[in-house]
Amino acid sequence: MTVVVSAGVPETEDVLAITEDVWTALLGDDATLVPRDVPPRSSFDADAWSAATTISGGWQGVVTIELGEAAARRLTTRMLALAADGEATDSDVADAVGELVNMVGGNVKGLLPGPSTLSLPAVAAGRAAFSRDTVLACRVDLAWQDGPVRVSVHVPQEGPR
Amino acid sequence: MRAMIIDDSRAMRSILRRIVAGLDFETSEAEHGQAALDQLRAGVVPDVCLVDWNMPVMDGYTFITEVRANPAWRDITLMMVTTEGEQRQIVRALAAGAHEYVIKPFTPDAIVDKLSLLGLVPA
Repeated sequence: MTVVVSAGVPETEDVLAITEDVWTALLGDDATLVPRDVPPRSSFDADAWSAATTISGGWQGVVTIELGEAAARRLTTRMLALAADGEATDSDVADAVGELVNMVGGNVKGLLPGPSTLSLPAVAAGRAAFSRDTVLACRVDLAWQDGPVRVSVHVPQEGPR
Repeated sequence: MRAMIIDDSRAMRSILRRIVAGLDFETSEAEHGQAALDQLRAGVVPDVCLVDWNMPVMDGYTFITEVRANPAWRDITLMMVTTEGEQRQIVRALAAGAHEYVIKPFTPDAIVDKLSLLGLVPA
């Protein structure tokens, strides 16, 4: 993966490349993510899982992941190696989705001016795990096994520092 | 061989446990550095610790400095497994006593290769 950051904000294709790398590492042959056409200002599915991690320091912003309920549970089942008919608990899903945003956020941080730190992830079900008091810097909308996946980078209202 | 997996994510501990168990390691787990130190003090001393950086209670960097400050634990191999990829932080961890550094996401082969480099599994 070769990624280049310009103007202090990660490029959409870089965020996509990071997301694909994370999915491939976790899921191997089942990692195929398909681009999804979504209107620019549309909100995510109401029953989604949402996770956020904040980058602070040389660059300031928030990286978020949103996953449809079914996709989040399937991904958790794979990460925890549960039996195919095994049921991931909400706690399991929160843990797995939190680790997802940790991996994506950590790699996004690596593209940006530092030094900076990455917060522990915040995770929520059925609502956004992040403040809406930010500006969207870039977003990728994907589908994994027909379930929606959205990765976004947000910056403070005044822009990245 | 015994491996201690130190990560606040159960999912990540599960992934790492499957990789090292596949190499016939016995495994123990801790959800943060303090819990890992408690296990060491209780006599659960592994050959290698796989250590995340960002964790609640005690982070991985602090854990490494604590382990390296105790001569009784000098034989423990320390491998960071973390999303923290800033060069400055990698240098800091290695200077503090980490032997190897793996940036998440990783493939199972990456973990096996590092353990091989450390002489913990046959090359």
